[in-house]
Amino acid sequence: MDIGVLLVYGILGLTVIVSAVGLIVSRNALYSALFLVVNFVAVGLLYLALGAPFIAFAQVTVYAGSIMVLFIFVIMLLGAENLMLDEPLRGQRALGILLVVIFLAEIVLYYLLRTTPLQAIPAIPQTFASPAEIGMLLFNRYLLPFEVTAFILLAATVGAILLSKHEGPTRPKPGIQKPETPVEG
Amino acid sequence: MPMSYYLILSAAMFAIGVLGVILRRNPLVVFMSLELMFNAANLVFVAFSAYHQILDGDLFVFFVMTTAAAEVAVGLALMVAIFRAKRTIDLDEMSMLKG
Amino acid sequence: MSSAFTPEMWRSIFPEIGLLILAIVLLVFDLIWLKQPQMRARWLGWMTSIGIVLIMGISAGISMPQGQGSVEWGGMLRFDAAGFVFRMIFMSAAALTALFASQFEALKKRGEFYALLLISTLGMNLMASAADLILLFLAIETTSLPLYVMAGFLTRDDRSVEAGIKYFLFGAITSAVMLYGFSLIYGLTGTTQIYELRSAFQAGNLPVGLAELVIVLVLVGFGFKISAAPFHFWAPDVYSGAPTPVAGFLSTASKAAGFAVLLRVLQIAFAGQGSLWTVLIAVLATASMLIGNYLALAQRSIKRLLAYSSIAHAGYILIGVAADSELGTLSVIYYLIAYLVTNLAAFGIVNLIESRVGSDEISALAGLNRRSAGLGLAMLAALLSLGGIPPFAGFFAKLLVFAAAVERGLIWLVLVGVFNAVVGLYYYLNVLKVIYLHPPVEEKEVFPPTPAWRIALWVCLAGILLIGFWFAPWYSLAQAATSAIWIY
Repeated sequence: MDIGVLLVYGILGLTVIVSAVGLIVSRNALYSALFLVVNFVAVGLLYLALGAPFIAFAQVTVYAGSIMVLFIFVIMLLGAENLMLDEPLRGQRALGILLVVIFLAEIVLYYLLRTTPLQAIPAIPQTFASPAEIGMLLFNRYLLPFEVTAFILLAATVGAILLSKHEGPTRPKPGIQKPETPVEG
Repeated sequence: MPMSYYLILSAAMFAIGVLGVILRRNPLVVFMSLELMFNAANLVFVAFSAYHQILDGDLFVFFVMTTAAAEVAVGLALMVAIFRAKRTIDLDEMSMLKG
Repeated sequence: MSSAFTPEMWRSIFPEIGLLILAIVLLVFDLIWLKQPQMRARWLGWMTSIGIVLIMGISAGISMPQGQGSVEWGGMLRFDAAGFVFRMIFMSAAALTALFASQFEALKKRGEFYALLLISTLGMNLMASAADLILLFLAIETTSLPLYVMAGFLTRDDRSVEAGIKYFLFGAITSAVMLYGFSLIYGLTGTTQIYELRSAFQAGNLPVGLAELVIVLVLVGFGFKISAAPFHFWAPDVYSGAPTPVAGFLSTASKAAGFAVLLRVLQIAFAGQGSLWTVLIAVLATASMLIGNYLALAQRSIKRLLAYSSIAHAGYILIGVAADSELGTLSVIYYLIAYLVTNLAAFGIVNLIESRVGSDEISALAGLNRRSAGLGLAMLAALLSLGGIPPFAGFFAKLLVFAAAVERGLIWLVLVGVFNAVVGLYYYLNVLKVIYLHPPVEEKEVFPPTPAWRIALWVCLAGILLIGFWFAPWYSLAQAATSAIWIY
């Protein structure tokens, strides 16, 4: 393979890993959020390389765009940048240890997997995963799941408004309203 | 690129996400690490979608993004609500329910 | 890919369409009665419940699946008797919960609460009949998101919001792990259809060890929904923090939905890996029974006690799953029906006591029989049914589960189960001792129970007795659902 291409993939992969590590080690939640944006964009570029332009742009607009804006908004609203915290929740830790064990098993399994013919990705035709094709599928085979996402967004909108609505006379100054659910681009 | 590139990358992202969930106690950071885990799964879907040349994986990712958006809205609203009630979101302060 | 809609497609999702319309109607009435909270408090619960019963009736008339069932909506939805029976279970739980909620001061005026309850039920319905991993994932999220909000519904109450956050974080973590499992399933087989996965897995193109990994990852997600150990950490905190009717709904309908998915996915998609997952499930069952029962012994809050008991019951039900046989599936469904009425009754009574005494300590129940003989008897029936004492629903359910395990030679699992049932009986009897032998406590103020609450409790009690005495209809329902799952 071309050395230039390899270099690009190497840098992309490195960006993904470094930004992920940055997310979990940085003490300031705001930096974590920015690392996550970098991670999302890098993964979005990988999607582009995998011949999925629609997903790549949805990734950038929905994840790196609206979701991260919400995150940063809430971090700044709550002033939660610098919570110095070290010890995790009891149950979370147990669950997490289990997951890490699973993951270690997975790494071992990966080496087993190398022996199978699962290697190179075949050349991707130009029309594959074009927005038009995805749209066709969404409104044919995937019509029912597509409608179900509408209920999820409805429930999330009702829930988010209800939870962040400031009610009662305990604190008379108007509460800050949370923005609506981000909707798909 | 070979499949293994994407699989390793996604496995690493997943593991880092899990570590973030275990090690960090700021619920906002835990939540972001969760997004990392979802992202790892999405990468596997898209990579295998290209490998099999079947679009189902791409569609799955589209739906995951939608639910992630909804989940973030609800999760952050809960955190705003707890902050209003207690003036903190430190999970350690939530001792009321333990024991 | 069909280009036109067939009547069969509409029939297959009729209950969901009905629930969605009902949810929207409730939100509209909430607006109409914006200035009349007493109207909302009086009618919203009834509207929800009667609406659901109507939908159930009409569905039984027009959308009962015939024969072996079919796959609709481009392979997304399985339209069969199993889906139908589980839908009836979820919708009954929702109808009863709506009635019980009308006894809960902070919920009864809130149209949003009932709308979220309905959307969550809609998600469970889809969970029970999803035939594709994509729809399954979306259905699980549709179920969970409203439940997170419902658990944290009382934004003025720290405990409720904390319960919401804990439930949310655990739910999201487990769902991310499960999604990673789904992505590997898709990667290995190239399909997301549950009914195609079976042949894809049996073709033997799996690298060694990967099937184990995938099953474990997926079980994390399902284990959370059924609150089986070691994915149970959220349950006690959430049950005691969330509004009591929500806790009742979580412990019955949400658990049943988890089992519906567990049965379909394990017995259809992973049918070829039976020897592997039955061991895993047996381990989960043992852990759930032990942890649930032993931690329940030390509880002083009745809601936390019921939470640990619900973990233990997840363990008993898992014995039926571990049997991996037709009788096993049947026993799981029968157990779920029996547990539904029993636990809803228990949480309903706790709800009333809590509103009267202002505490969820077990001591708040002291002398209940002298304060109200009827309530004392109702609690007696519910607790003995939970403990598995003969005339009540829980007994026959436990018997079936154990019989299924014996049939498959899982004697050790049955022994663990029986031993745990005895431990369970001990703490249920302990609560009864407080109810019948301790001097009654002062009641702060006496709210008469609302008619809605009374009717819901009567229905639950009738269920506890009927399911205990007259098995035939429930048995044949469970039988129909079982044969629909075991066709393949």
